[in-house]
Amino acid sequence: MDTKAKLKQVLVEELNLEDVTPDEIEDDEILFGEGLGLDSLDAVELVVVVQKHFGVEIKDMDEGRPALQSINTLAAFIEEKQG
Amino acid sequence: MMEMRISGLGIAGAFGCGTRELRAALEHGGVKPSFCADAGAQSIPVYRASTTALERYLNKRVLRRIDHFSRLALLGAFEALEDGEYNFDFIPARERLGVVLCSGFGALSTTFRFLDSVMDDGDSFASPTAFSNSVHNAAAAHISMQLGITGPGQTLSQFDHSFISGVQQAQMWLEEKRVDAVLLGTVDEYCSVLGYCWERFLGIKPSTQMRPFASDSSSALPGEGAAFFLLRPQQDGSAGYARISGMECGHVRGSSPRLGSGAPLILGCEGYPDTMNMYREHLPADAAVACYTPLYGASPVAPAFDVAIAALALERGKAYPAPAAPPAETGWATLSSGSAVETLTCVDFGVGGEYSALHRARPCL
Amino acid sequence: MQKPGVGISGAGCVCGAGMDLATAYVSMLTGERNPQAPQRFSTTHADTYPVFEILSPLPAPGTDAELLRTTRLALSAAHEALNDAQLDRELLRGLRVGVCIGTTVGSAMNSEEFYRDFRSGKTPDMAPIERYLRSNPAAALARHYQLDGPSQVVANACSSGTDAIGVGAAWIRAGLCDMVIAGGADELCRTTYNGFASLMITDTRACRPFDVSRRGLNLGEGAGVLVLESDAVLKRRGRRARGYVLGYANATDSHHLTAPHPEGRGLKAALARAISDAGIEAQQLAFLNAHGTGTPDNDKVESKVLCELFPEVPVVSTKGYTGHTLGAAGAIEATLTLVGLEQGRIPANAGFSQMDPALGLTPTTALTPVQGSIAVSESLAFGGNNAALVLGLEEHI
Repeated sequence: MDTKAKLKQVLVEELNLEDVTPDEIEDDEILFGEGLGLDSLDAVELVVVVQKHFGVEIKDMDEGRPALQSINTLAAFIEEKQG
Repeated sequence: MMEMRISGLGIAGAFGCGTRELRAALEHGGVKPSFCADAGAQSIPVYRASTTALERYLNKRVLRRIDHFSRLALLGAFEALEDGEYNFDFIPARERLGVVLCSGFGALSTTFRFLDSVMDDGDSFASPTAFSNSVHNAAAAHISMQLGITGPGQTLSQFDHSFISGVQQAQMWLEEKRVDAVLLGTVDEYCSVLGYCWERFLGIKPSTQMRPFASDSSSALPGEGAAFFLLRPQQDGSAGYARISGMECGHVRGSSPRLGSGAPLILGCEGYPDTMNMYREHLPADAAVACYTPLYGASPVAPAFDVAIAALALERGKAYPAPAAPPAETGWATLSSGSAVETLTCVDFGVGGEYSALHRARPCL
Repeated sequence: MQKPGVGISGAGCVCGAGMDLATAYVSMLTGERNPQAPQRFSTTHADTYPVFEILSPLPAPGTDAELLRTTRLALSAAHEALNDAQLDRELLRGLRVGVCIGTTVGSAMNSEEFYRDFRSGKTPDMAPIERYLRSNPAAALARHYQLDGPSQVVANACSSGTDAIGVGAAWIRAGLCDMVIAGGADELCRTTYNGFASLMITDTRACRPFDVSRRGLNLGEGAGVLVLESDAVLKRRGRRARGYVLGYANATDSHHLTAPHPEGRGLKAALARAISDAGIEAQQLAFLNAHGTGTPDNDKVESKVLCELFPEVPVVSTKGYTGHTLGAAGAIEATLTLVGLEQGRIPANAGFSQMDPALGLTPTTALTPVQGSIAVSESLAFGGNNAALVLGLEEHI
């Protein structure tokens, strides 16, 4: 499974998004606020989720904020860190 | 003290959800505990409560981060405000409504789920969502957020004594005119660790049946649920179930409740021999008593369920059948089913020796 | 119309800044602070988040190993407060004495050792659970001093201590009690340390409330306790109050589980109601003890509200000396606020050196003399709770 597909799947599972399926999340959909509707608590949970499932650490929110924009940005961040 | 009126009830327990289902359980009995296999080595009977009725009020997206504990609380809160016909349409109503939430143990399952996240994967994998939902006031926060309440909020936690502290808090706010009404609720949940404690401390077995007045061996079975009350000042003239006309609380080390001779009492006996001895010592010999804990089990919510039942009985002016009769040697009479009641006092002794007596009367007296 | 104040006849505090109230205040005035890595427990985080831990043994009666540390902290501070009020168990007998204590996790069943064994299918010993059941702070204090008045534990997260004092004052005003032991207590433990680290709001350096470079809070631990006493009993004992609780209020944000309302809706309401509860005007304040945790969000929202409501009032956050002691914070800060009024001077806001233009608030930058006899201490909390106390040196203004 590629990074984006896996990301969507863990997002739905770990954040308990019962009202969407992984397929329904667009690659460029904004994750926070409008869009998928996640909030600041989801953001810090996502930091843990990314570390757990992809072994990639987001050190702080200065680093996290640009990465957590969309599936596209987060997948790119993960892939870059994984080298 | 300034009298309060119970103008709305929101209840969820093993008997079901809402006043209709509680009334049915009171009339027909038949509430059975279910078995939880996850409690240590053996399966013990537990009075569990369902929150599926909450889907009537909140959608899945909203509920995704809300645990069973807070769902119970939300269900109680929505039901009580709906039952009390609380009008949310204008902002002052939201500013002038206080929320008092009582819990003996807090969000136990989420507390342990947070520890799971640390123990499964390590300290740096601790779940922030679990942590923030494990804080004792998380349920009150969800209520305030989902109902748009911006008045004062207080979460109180003192095991069996939690609910009476909440009644006192509500009364104080109304008396000080900080609020026009108070949403007072008690909530507690069962979890497997609690089940293990029950087994170890009390020797509960799969065959144990709740005998509230037992003084030989412990027969308390764990319960869970939520009981919420919309309280208003008695003099505001709104309709309601019953009025709270007096309240006493203290500790057996220094005092005891003042209970009139022959007064009809609802007892919070839960099948603990130690507390049963306190009831024996401090109740008048000719008391007429009823105890309903076999409908919802033992938990810090039980005293609040007692109050809900008293409210329903006073509303119709007649006592409900009591599922258990006091042993003959106590000398207490059973408050007989259908007998007329004008006043009722709920008496509760906690394991630690705290007691409370809440005096209630019919609304129109 | 102004209500009568509720007398404060004694105060006690134990925290990272000092083992008693006077010592803590002196050390703060000299600008001393020493957050460091936790000593009593270890974690596996890559970074270390410094804390304000109490490393000295707790003074009696906080020595009882059969109680949780939170409860022992409460006992130590209560003992100091009762001594200060020249009260002991004997003198409390026959009085209606209430206990109201704020705390967050002190009464949570979170023994890691017990749970680790339970999870792995062992049959752990029940001692940690028995200790937990003995350790409800209000019940334990009532038991220790053999009291029979109302007792209550407020669990409003980080505003608990402020709320508990407000509740205690209401009990006296309503004639429910002759005296109330009111305050807050919280211990530092792995659970909260991991929890706050997971929320990414703890700093790897000493915290810098309101500073442009602030990165988060440092946790702390401790307890603060006030003895509140009715006029009648004070008179009978021939004693004068140290100060008064003049007003209190609590309001909720109805916004988010962990983030404060961006406009500080609840905080604004709590402050405005507390001021009106006391029957005073904002310009009468000598100073304000802020929540000021040092997290980017808290300080932003709080400055916005303070600049709007109290533009001229000196502001200090004392968390740069004590760390964030959670359920104890509001109570510790109330005791520090009382001493600040008595001495007419407040410490520099530790960790602050440069104003954040986004905040526009400059707290005290040096030991600051203050004028007036009234001050406010306020708290924000998870769950959107906000609470404020108005304290004064005179009963009537």
